[in-house]
Amino acid sequence: MSTDILGIFVLLLVPIAGVAAAIYLVITRRRKD
Amino acid sequence: MEADMLVNDYLGRLEAAAWPLNADRRRELVAEVREHIESALAESGARDEVTTRNVLERLGAPEEIVAAEVGSPGSEGQSPVVTVVQIPGRRGWGASEVAAIAFLTVGAVFLPIIGPLIGLAFVWSADAWSTRQKWVATAIVAVLLVLPILFLLGLTTGSSSGQSLP
Repeated sequence: MSTDILGIFVLLLVPIAGVAAAIYLVITRRRKD
Repeated sequence: MEADMLVNDYLGRLEAAAWPLNADRRRELVAEVREHIESALAESGARDEVTTRNVLERLGAPEEIVAAEVGSPGSEGQSPVVTVVQIPGRRGWGASEVAAIAFLTVGAVFLPIIGPLIGLAFVWSADAWSTRQKWVATAIVAVLLVLPILFLLGLTTGSSSGQSLP
C-alpha cells in the first residue's frame, strides 16, 4: 500500500519537480538577458 | 595559474587593441573589463580554465569591445561599462542549457529520478545561470523528491503506532 502510494508520488512529483525547475531557469535566464 | 594567465592575456590584447583611445580612456576601459571579468568569475563560483574561457568568450573579442567603444555615437561621455555589460546579453542558448531543460522536463517523464538528476548535472555545467539560480533549481527538484519519502515515513510511523494500540 505504502509502496504504491510512493510510486504514484514519485511518478507525479518527479516530472512536476523537473518542469518547475526548468520554468524557473528559463524565466530567470530571460530576465538576465 | 592558468585562469589568471588567460585574463591577463585577454586584457593585454584589449589594451593593444584600444590604441585609438586616449591613455586615460584606455586605462579606464581595461580596468572596467577586468572588474567585469572578476565579478563574472565570482558569480560563477569557479575560477578554473573552462569557466574563465567561457567568461572571456561571452565578453567577445577585445577588438569588438574597442570597436563598439570607438564607433558608438557620443561615446566620449559614456562609461565603458555600458558597452561591456551589454555584450553577454547577445548570447543564445548553448547545448548544455538545452540539454538541462530537456532532461528536467521530457527526461523527468521518460527517466523518472535519473532524468532530473542528469538535467541538474547539465544545469551545473552550464554557464547561463548564476550559482544562486543553480542552487534554487536543485532545491526545487530536491524538495519535491524528498516529499514522497517524508510522506511514506509519516505513513509508516502512523500505521505502526496505530497497530501498537490495543
